[in-house]
Amino acid sequence: MELTQNDKKSFLEPLFKNNPVFVQILGICSALAVTTSMKTAITMTLAVTFVTAFSNVGVSLIRKFIPGSIRMIVEMTIIAALVILVDQLIKAFSYDLSKQLSVYVGLIITNCIVMGRAEAFAIKNAPTGSFLDGLGNGLGYGCVLLIVAFFRELFGFGKIFGFVVFKTVQNGGWYVPNGLMVTAPAAFFLIGAIIWIAKTFNKSLQDAE
Amino acid sequence: MKFKSLQRALDKAGSSLFAKGKPLSFLYQLYDAADTFFFSTNQKTTGSVHVRDCNDLKRAMFTVVLALIPCALFGIFNVGYQANLLHNQCGAVPGGWHGTFLLWLNGQCPGLRLFDYTSVLGCFLYGLVYYLPVYIVTMIVGIFWEVVFATVYKHEVNEGFFVTGFLFPLICPATIPLWQVALAISFGVVIGKEIFGGTGRNFLNPALVARAFLFFAYAGQITGDKVWTAVDGVSKATPLSYASEGAQAIVGAGYQWYDAFLGLIPGAVGETSTVCCLIGAAVLLTAGIASWRIMGSMFVGGMGLAWIFSLCGSNNPAMNLGPWWHFVLGGFAFGMVFMATDPISAAQTRLGQYIYGLLVGALVIVVRVFNPAYPEGCMLVILFGNCVAPLIDHFVVEANVRRRMKRLQAR
Amino acid sequence: MAKESISRTFAVAAGLCVVCALIVAIASVSLKGAQERNKALDKQVNILRAAGLLQPTEKVDASRAAELFENCKTVVVDLESGTIDESADPAEIEKDPNNKIKLDKADDIASIKEIPAKTVVYLFYDETGELKTVVLPIVGSGLWSVLYGFFSLDGDLNSTANIVFYDHGETPGLGGEISNPVWTAKWKGKKAFNQNGEPALRVIKGTADPASSDIDGISGATLTGKGVTNTVTFWLGEKGFGPFLKNLRAQNGSKSEN
Repeated sequence: MELTQNDKKSFLEPLFKNNPVFVQILGICSALAVTTSMKTAITMTLAVTFVTAFSNVGVSLIRKFIPGSIRMIVEMTIIAALVILVDQLIKAFSYDLSKQLSVYVGLIITNCIVMGRAEAFAIKNAPTGSFLDGLGNGLGYGCVLLIVAFFRELFGFGKIFGFVVFKTVQNGGWYVPNGLMVTAPAAFFLIGAIIWIAKTFNKSLQDAE
Repeated sequence: MKFKSLQRALDKAGSSLFAKGKPLSFLYQLYDAADTFFFSTNQKTTGSVHVRDCNDLKRAMFTVVLALIPCALFGIFNVGYQANLLHNQCGAVPGGWHGTFLLWLNGQCPGLRLFDYTSVLGCFLYGLVYYLPVYIVTMIVGIFWEVVFATVYKHEVNEGFFVTGFLFPLICPATIPLWQVALAISFGVVIGKEIFGGTGRNFLNPALVARAFLFFAYAGQITGDKVWTAVDGVSKATPLSYASEGAQAIVGAGYQWYDAFLGLIPGAVGETSTVCCLIGAAVLLTAGIASWRIMGSMFVGGMGLAWIFSLCGSNNPAMNLGPWWHFVLGGFAFGMVFMATDPISAAQTRLGQYIYGLLVGALVIVVRVFNPAYPEGCMLVILFGNCVAPLIDHFVVEANVRRRMKRLQAR
Repeated sequence: MAKESISRTFAVAAGLCVVCALIVAIASVSLKGAQERNKALDKQVNILRAAGLLQPTEKVDASRAAELFENCKTVVVDLESGTIDESADPAEIEKDPNNKIKLDKADDIASIKEIPAKTVVYLFYDETGELKTVVLPIVGSGLWSVLYGFFSLDGDLNSTANIVFYDHGETPGLGGEISNPVWTAKWKGKKAFNQNGEPALRVIKGTADPASSDIDGISGATLTGKGVTNTVTFWLGEKGFGPFLKNLRAQNGSKSEN
């Protein structure tokens, strides 16, 4: 199967140019909540990417049959089913992570990115393009999550992926962990900084004066 | 005249070196800062009538620094005094490089009586050894960021930072590690001020943002008991931390009310002395820099609520602590005089200033009484006040507009 | 348009619901076993850590955990009388909604309002059948959140073996340090009772005397430390496991005399 130019575009654009987090400012809630460590951020990335990609495919497959009056409910049902599936899988195969992620896997249902892509893209495009669009958006969201989690875990706990990089004073080392990084506002500042950098380098994102 | 020649030299340098197209034009902002620091601007208004006096931003900021000097001088003395009291009581010695330096200095010139708590000069010099590095680091790092942003975003470097840089060391414990000072003031200046466009556009007080950063980032060190006195390994809690156990506990820990009023208690460098804060208040009010509405209403709000609480009577000992205690403990007086009245981040409308002051004053007491985890809520409450100040102003202005509209329609 | 007709709308909705329900149901049913095993193993691991049979970061699978539990007697204790209720099933008692007593305000030093009437306790024995460790479930209020954990005593029923908090919402880096093994190691060997048999463990500010029953506080977490002190004091006291430990001590004493 040959990918069209449009398909490539729908995969690549959300990675940077039209990133759901730092351009569209969506999915901020979970970006604050699950980025205290790289492990949870990666799990969340995979979960959201899976849900966005396959809900897009699902919606796209039946887009010609969906009556306009119940369009949103149908999209929501598909998303909810997929989220429950992911939640059950994580609980069954990675119990520790599911404890750390707590309600935030379930809350993917309310992540604006998922619903937004179904409504803005999948409802009027073919399954292949929709799948790539979902994949791109999930990964674009994930990139931001991983950057934020990298800084939060490194400076908040002195670790990366649970491996000690800076030994903290509590455990007899030298590094004084930064408590702000452990709390949600740190993610807010970091995402703010990412938006700042993105707008500095991509002039088209700047608001007209 | 000497001044004339300096002025001429500056003007000449300006036109030959820093003006557009000249070799150092990228440093124009720095030149401009130096020039306007020495001389008030020679720009004149043209066209319609304007009232102008020379009391511009720079002079206003300078007055604030002047008002802070009693607090700073007393605070520096108090750092040494508190340490030497402990030195006298239990032989505690200062640790780290401060300690090494102090011992060396004492060996060189014993006449300074550095470790004698009855010697005002000795205590002052002792405190200076702790205070000065904090101040210097604050200034260097803060001005570095100011210059970076001024150069990149092409606005002028101005004296806003002199006040911030003077305030910040005064609300820190003297023993704070210097790298934490550098991090905190970077955060305060960049996140609290520069990203909003620099002095005059910041909706938060940058010194408080820096302090809040320390509070959340290094809470273990900043709220502990060991940080308040400049000797090694001895913990001495601030009187405020006994507030949740009531006035008896404070007195029981050896602090009298007049100690707290004069400021002879452990605490952040500049905020222990209520007397010095009141002197500062007098200076600020006489010069017309700070709003008496904010100061007055914050005093009324805080003391009023503390008084109502003490009338209620309850099992919570902090509630029974009288307003006279609340006034002299922790950062209430300092925050009221120097922080809440910051003309940039406080409410601007008259009615708004009353509401703002009452809100901040009352909330400080609420936090102290009901949240034992944050006994020093003054800083956070003023930041909260900063956040809602534009909202308060908005409603005051709206109400005003509505009232006038009604009057207009009635006519 | 036929796409918008009512019957079409119902048909699509019904069809979608059936498909989604099927996916969810299949996932739920087929994964239930694994999830419950995970949950049970997680609890066992926490108990084994409290008993000192597992290192704080060590991970085990279900079969190894079961092996370590071989010398463990899981018993249901009636808190008020301090006796072991042989008839009760440990698995059932934790699910029983009627298994609770309201606490008086004066007794409720751990601020938990109610406690179970009967609770599950884990007794670990060594190869010779000698009592090695007693693991007691504890719960109490910290500064921001409820602390859930296990407290364990050595076979002499006086020396602290370990304290493990497996669930809490205290500030990470400050109060959250109560679940740091470096801090909990400071409890080891501390005498849990004074000469009068009263609970003596206290988390204090600053550095504690190694011979006393005091434990070094976590700097910046005075109030969480207070919560831990209250929790431990409550559960070792008369309303907690006090009567049970007394009975157990008497039993052990008579055994060693024989």
